[in-house]
Amino acid sequence: MSWQAAAWLMLGGSTALLFLGLPVALSFLVINLVGALLFLGGEAGLTQFARNSVGSVASFSLTPIPLFILMGEVLFHTGLAVKVIDGVERLIRQVPGRLAVVAVVAGTVFSAISGSTIATTAMLGSLMLPVMLARGYHPTMATGPLMAIGAVDMLIPPSALTVLLGSLSGISIAGLLIGGVVPGLVLSLAFVIYIIARVKLNPSLAPKTAFTEYQGWQKLRPFVQYVIPLVSIFAVVVASMSAGWATPTESAAIGAFFTMLLAALYGALSVKNLVAALRGTAAISGMILFIIVGATTFSQILSFSGASNGLVELISSLGLSPLAVLAAMMLLLIFLGLFVEQVSMMMITLPIYMPLVAKYGFDPVWFGVMFLICMQLGLLLPPHGLLLMTMKGVAPPQVRMGHIFQAVLPYIAMSLLVLALVFFVPAVALWLPKALL
Amino acid sequence: MQRLENAYGRLLEVLALAGCALIFGMTLMICADVLLRNVRIVPGMVGLEWANEISEGMLYLVTVLTAPWLMRQGQHIRVDILLRAVPKPLGWAMEWVVDVLALACCAAITYYGARAALASWKAGSMSIKTLITPEWWLLSVLPVAFLALTIEMLFRMRRLWLGPRAPRDDAVSTG
Repeated sequence: MSWQAAAWLMLGGSTALLFLGLPVALSFLVINLVGALLFLGGEAGLTQFARNSVGSVASFSLTPIPLFILMGEVLFHTGLAVKVIDGVERLIRQVPGRLAVVAVVAGTVFSAISGSTIATTAMLGSLMLPVMLARGYHPTMATGPLMAIGAVDMLIPPSALTVLLGSLSGISIAGLLIGGVVPGLVLSLAFVIYIIARVKLNPSLAPKTAFTEYQGWQKLRPFVQYVIPLVSIFAVVVASMSAGWATPTESAAIGAFFTMLLAALYGALSVKNLVAALRGTAAISGMILFIIVGATTFSQILSFSGASNGLVELISSLGLSPLAVLAAMMLLLIFLGLFVEQVSMMMITLPIYMPLVAKYGFDPVWFGVMFLICMQLGLLLPPHGLLLMTMKGVAPPQVRMGHIFQAVLPYIAMSLLVLALVFFVPAVALWLPKALL
Repeated sequence: MQRLENAYGRLLEVLALAGCALIFGMTLMICADVLLRNVRIVPGMVGLEWANEISEGMLYLVTVLTAPWLMRQGQHIRVDILLRAVPKPLGWAMEWVVDVLALACCAAITYYGARAALASWKAGSMSIKTLITPEWWLLSVLPVAFLALTIEMLFRMRRLWLGPRAPRDDAVSTG
């Protein structure tokens, strides 16, 4: 079979099955069965495929996935997540669009202790959206910052999807985790500046309302009592990784353990909420890991069939400059983000993208951070962006889908600008990993 | 049949709880390894050298133990854009196509997984890393898990038949 036919079968077949509605993991497994039969030597190939399935997830580099998810789940189920908002709110003085600014800052802090974008958006949306709307905030000013900062969660470690990207692509997981920090913080800062500027230009978007200004210790108490200890988990994770005491995998376990320990010290951890957190962790990590079972063999068969090489050679023969190829890769990712969720985006593109990264000599961490920004964009792109749906799910009925689409547009523009910034100034993504690792 | 389906659901719950216990155990084990390696609190003990390998096995078990339970919960993510775009009866018909494909896939992996495990057992293949263990120990879990998935697919098709003539509301993202 020609490589073109193999590529159509493997890439086209899996995409068709995905859009038919077959679960992502099974879409890859079905195509793997066909691929193993055709390219791995018939029945022997099918038996080998079953054997490969075990090896695909029995990998130490994947253990941070459940462990990072566990950190976020413990914080939600013990109620500690809510304390972060309180701690941040008391510190922020009267600025235009104050509550939206509070949401962005609290969301950034929360990103550093949770690895789930949906959970962050849902929590901020359910807690802060009703308050903002009640104080006269326009629905676009109330919902936009919450969705945008939820998406940033993917860039700031801990992030389970970053670990998955590193594991599937062979890019340094520690490099990716640390490489996402600066672009994530740049985005958060851009959001704050945008909110303040927008409300200054049009104060009716976020009317100035009275709030209790605490003084002295009362102002600092929730920040010192909750935010600093919780953020110290982030410091422990990054420090243990960069000091060489623990591998990225082991630092995830340390982070999860410290989260449980802190929750216990606050008296917030019970058997009931620990089991709830573990169930949530088992569900999210189980679905990600099951996809990996199919995806790993998929990449192997794609490579074995000659399709990967054929596609790479075809792209190379077009005579495009390396940066044009890279730009086309990012545009394709953004396009995929319109329809496909993040794990599938990785599965479909990485088997072709990584040989191109090697061929053109792109820095893998630089490439990986841009990949993460494109996936983060995918969460926000209308009409199917996942965080748009999450926001609609927690918003009161007066917030219409049109408000949500309109609200997210400036934040999409800012994310595209940051993507362009990382594209043209790689140091934005690379200097921190180089300094720490 | 409904009682059988409920009883099977409880079995899947037990498997998922075992997955939860494995995640908890894995966290504690890796931390103990890091602690013992960096702070020599037990004389002569420099970490748990087998911790990485056991973690790998635990991760695999978490994956296969939770897979049938996630299928029952409708939490194996999928892309449902097309299913939502077409008329409901057509979406329902597409669900049948998808279910038949999934059932055949799970049954095939059960069969070939069993063959791989059996061949490994017969050949006496060993996994030689830090620990030396028979390879079939891990291989044999795969066909059991996919058998559980195959059975769950049958119950899932039954629910589709008895339910409304429309696509299901399954999960669409890992978040």
